[in-house]
Amino acid sequence: MSTGIVTTDLRKTFPVRRWQGWRRRPAAAPVAAVDGLSLRIPPGQVTGLLGLNGAGKTTTIRILSTLLRPTGGTVSVDGLDVVEHAREVRRRINVISGGERMVYDRLTARENLWYFGQLYDVPRARLRARIDELLDLVGLTEAAQVPVERFSRGMRQRLVIARGLINDPAYLLLDEPTLGLDAPIAHQLRALIAQLAADGVGVLLTSHYLAEVEQLCRHVYLIARGSLVAQGSPAQLAGQTVRRHTVRLVLAVADPAVTAVLRALAERHGAELTVDVDDEGRPRFTLRHPQDLVGAVVTAVVQAGGAVAGLTVTPPTLEDAILTLTDAQAVAVR
Amino acid sequence: MSVMAATFVRNWRITLRAYPWTYFVGTLATGVLTIGVSMLAYRAIGGGRVGASFTAATGSADYLGYVTVGAAALTFTTRMVLWVAKAQITEYREGTLESQLLTPARRLPYLLGVTAQALSTTAVEITVLVAVATALGVRLTVADPLTLLAATVAATVAVVGMSVPLSALMLAAGEAHITQNTLFTAMALLCGFTFPTSYLPDAARWLGEALPVTWALRVLRAATLPGTDVDPWPAFAVCVVLGGAYLLLGLSILDPAERRALHRSARA
Repeated sequence: MSTGIVTTDLRKTFPVRRWQGWRRRPAAAPVAAVDGLSLRIPPGQVTGLLGLNGAGKTTTIRILSTLLRPTGGTVSVDGLDVVEHAREVRRRINVISGGERMVYDRLTARENLWYFGQLYDVPRARLRARIDELLDLVGLTEAAQVPVERFSRGMRQRLVIARGLINDPAYLLLDEPTLGLDAPIAHQLRALIAQLAADGVGVLLTSHYLAEVEQLCRHVYLIARGSLVAQGSPAQLAGQTVRRHTVRLVLAVADPAVTAVLRALAERHGAELTVDVDDEGRPRFTLRHPQDLVGAVVTAVVQAGGAVAGLTVTPPTLEDAILTLTDAQAVAVR
Repeated sequence: MSVMAATFVRNWRITLRAYPWTYFVGTLATGVLTIGVSMLAYRAIGGGRVGASFTAATGSADYLGYVTVGAAALTFTTRMVLWVAKAQITEYREGTLESQLLTPARRLPYLLGVTAQALSTTAVEITVLVAVATALGVRLTVADPLTLLAATVAATVAVVGMSVPLSALMLAAGEAHITQNTLFTAMALLCGFTFPTSYLPDAARWLGEALPVTWALRVLRAATLPGTDVDPWPAFAVCVVLGGAYLLLGLSILDPAERRALHRSARA
């Protein structure tokens, strides 16, 4: 039996109906939200699922969590098909979504966790201790008896996180889990996710906070229009980008000789060079090139007698990779 | 604790926090108004007498008792349908349906938990309604306590049976008001709450016969109207069989209806 969540050639289409006169008729082609996606989410690590809005991330999570049925392909959780064995799969997984309600406003935090504990059939002897642990974990012990309708957005999201852990899931699907959380709580949650993975939980994470993905994920799938565009570690994905290292250099005083040297250097390497002034009116040079030209730039400036007032180097990031790779896919589709 | 018991407790907690006493009064108002208007018509227009056709159709000349039992039954039916049939679309609207469906809990115990809580709430409402009717001068008698118990069971089976397919219909359509009000209107006209079904045209009467609530009312009439000489047990049996059939139909279409609702929210 294979362990982990495995999808093979996963597809999901939504029929589209349009008004024609007095009747709504099916459009010629249904919309493909997920199109031939093959993923593996192993236990004991955090796997990222990235893409722009509408790429199919949330639909994928809904299929993995049994909420939606796939139109084609297969999904298994520890070898159990999510359609055939939906109830058994639900015991092993849970979902935490940012920005969705998922808890009862008129119940207190403790009552919510108690109710969901019952729905997950958590043994009575274990449930009370589990609720206390989770309330403590998400910092809601003090507010345990307060109805959720009086919670702030961040408190509500913390309760949603506790709800997602009530059944000790073997796999946790996180859809923008830190959305709306204050920085310290988001930091705590990231530490918790890392700890869960270290304890053997398989985690799938979608997030718009790419630093979060770079920090937590060992493997990332990048999707666009429901299809896989690239995969690898965050560093490998960033390396696939054609975006450039950006060297930004500020001179203490304007010097035509230094400007000429930098223009020549940019021309020689085929780098993109822009010249403007910073907030203090000092000349600022920005060079973009696939290679890191910082050494050559500094050497040239010093040899030309220039005085460097500021220097920053920005390597290509995961964000660059997403933009580049999804742009390329969009171009290919067009 | 089972899913049924947990849902019962959850719903009581929500009810106690969510609904003010005015809501309870509003619920009673419809039943009291039905009894009041009927009483006025009976005394002011009918001169305190009923026609021979009414006595022939019902086996009793106690019109006010007939109307009070009908109003109580209508209150029971509408309140139970509102609780049970709307349970899932309320979860859908309030954003908790997904977290429900993510769990391995089955639907039937959940719906039975909602039913149990609805029964306990509605029992209080019916008791107060009957007390108000008694204060207005209506004298109700229980001909046979066992038949009254059977009538309560029959009414519960009938209402839950009808509520589950209605719940699926509401989820699939994504709306509750048109669906529930169509059913309430149909039941009020076809099931014999305030007049005997024999007054209806044949086609309408047959439609009424297809609703288990009609049969539950017959058992209730047999238990509460003095002078009726009707054997309640055949009606009880039909009610249970019809209610069970509706329940099975509802459970079989609930899963596709839930998926349709989730599809709708996934596309949104």
